[in-house]
Amino acid sequence: CIFLFHSDRVIDVGSEWRTFSNEKALKDPSRVGDAQNPLLNGGDLTTMISRGTGAASFDEFGNSKYQNRRTMSSSDRAMLNAFKEISTMADRINLPRNIVDRTNNLFKQVYEQKSLKGRANDAIASACLYIACRQEGVPRTFKEICAVSRISKKEIGRCFKLILKALETSVDLITTGDFMSRFCSNLGLPKQVQMAATFIARKAVELDLVPGRSPISVAAAAIYMASQASAEKKTQKEIGDIAGVADVTIRQSYRLIYPRAAELFPPDFKFDTPVDKLPQL
Amino acid sequence: MDQNNSIPPFQGLASPQGAMTPGMPMFSPMMPYGSGLTPQPVQNTNSLSILEEQQRQQQQQQQQHQQQPSAGLPGTSGQTPQLYHSQTAAGSTTTALPGGTGLYSTSIGPMTPLTPATPASESSGIVPTLQNIVSTVNLGCKLDLKTIALRARNAEYNPKRFAAVIMRIREPRTTALIFSSGKMVCTGAKSEEESRLAARKYARVVQKLGFPAKFLDFKIQNMVGSCDVKFPIRLEGLVLTHQQFSSYEPELFPGLIYRMIKPRIVLLIFVSGKVVLTGAKVRAEIYEAFENIYPILKGFRKTT
Repeated sequence: CIFLFHSDRVIDVGSEWRTFSNEKALKDPSRVGDAQNPLLNGGDLTTMISRGTGAASFDEFGNSKYQNRRTMSSSDRAMLNAFKEISTMADRINLPRNIVDRTNNLFKQVYEQKSLKGRANDAIASACLYIACRQEGVPRTFKEICAVSRISKKEIGRCFKLILKALETSVDLITTGDFMSRFCSNLGLPKQVQMAATFIARKAVELDLVPGRSPISVAAAAIYMASQASAEKKTQKEIGDIAGVADVTIRQSYRLIYPRAAELFPPDFKFDTPVDKLPQL
Repeated sequence: MDQNNSIPPFQGLASPQGAMTPGMPMFSPMMPYGSGLTPQPVQNTNSLSILEEQQRQQQQQQQQHQQQPSAGLPGTSGQTPQLYHSQTAAGSTTTALPGGTGLYSTSIGPMTPLTPATPASESSGIVPTLQNIVSTVNLGCKLDLKTIALRARNAEYNPKRFAAVIMRIREPRTTALIFSSGKMVCTGAKSEEESRLAARKYARVVQKLGFPAKFLDFKIQNMVGSCDVKFPIRLEGLVLTHQQFSSYEPELFPGLIYRMIKPRIVLLIFVSGKVVLTGAKVRAEIYEAFENIYPILKGFRKTT
């Protein structure tokens, strides 16, 4: 039985020819090239001439014929460059594709708005990356973004505020819990310790033991307390290195939460070092 | 930022959409601030405040109606901070509020103010102290910075670093930047009079060195004040409700940066309760800004 669809014609979207690929085909016979990125490139339809490979592509002096790849989409050259830079930065810290896409979208919006035109594109790209991480619910600290970017924290911070104003968006406030899983796995702490640290940090903020302290510092101090109470003890220096916090800062925050350490631990925590034997700095 | 259907240009009338500017005496008669402004629905973080402000609204209503015959102003008296509660004596060109909800609104809808209303009688009782005044003056003649630096006391001049002479005097304790064009910036004074006096002293120093210095266009460019509200503040709550004006990034700066629109002042608000106000051209702006922010801060007082 054949079903007739009410369309003018049916276009077979299967492949042009059959490929029996038991080995990796070095020459992909597809003639349509890469997937277009219409959303971000403004749908340019330019012609590119790639470097030839056969003998016929070279003229008598040995230079290649059809020399330059014609300037493609000159209007968006800077944008494409920025996308490349964003992709590189994201790759350094293994950010998933959705964050990269969001960053690209943000950058495109900012770029088209032109309100931040004078700022370095790299700075805007870094700030967009920061905002995208925040918006996806997995914030990265400014220092982490600095580590993969050539731009200073100050400039990224400035661009961040400008972009929020230009796009008229806002971001949620960072909390201590946002960073726990990343810091703890970088330190190699077991899940129990991570959960304990999350609980400690949250409790400390609820009890307002650390007013005015940056959530990163509180998180670092909580990790320190949790790790010192467990079998996997980490030094302040190690935690400071991972979190991007100075060890004196961890010390300060730790001093604030230490007096009430007993209340801060989760009830089902297995202490390797009891609360009264915790280091007192 | 964007007020949906209100009259666009009147940016001036208080922080739009709800950031309250209580005690605001200036109301444009043309501004039907009842109609256009639709303050955004805000989860009131402080449940007590809803009750409080309803009570206060009722009080104000009664006061309003009593005062109506006397108040000749088309705008309401300074008692009604709520922009949309335009119980104007002029009876209303305003209030596009659906059926009298304005007066005794119990809904926690778009009409809920963000903070309790402040009856005019209750002021904060705290006066910000001025910490710094920056002023400029034109001495009206070209100056030779080298001779000034060589002959004057307490003057430093490093043309490679900065193209001006930096001069200091002890009384009033101020610093001046003197440029070769004859213009001068005077910083560090604690009051307007002191700033003017100091600028005059600098001008006299320059005059004594042989330049025909005058004292033209003295203008105060910036005033910085600070004060203490004496209670800790929940900055997270404040940034949630006043998103359009606040910026709180603990990674970047420990204080909340509040950019008030009317008057155009930037306030740095800290958890401890200390507040720094800057960007004012006149003293009254600092006082007004503080009076505006005080009830908002009271609403975000830490209860523990």
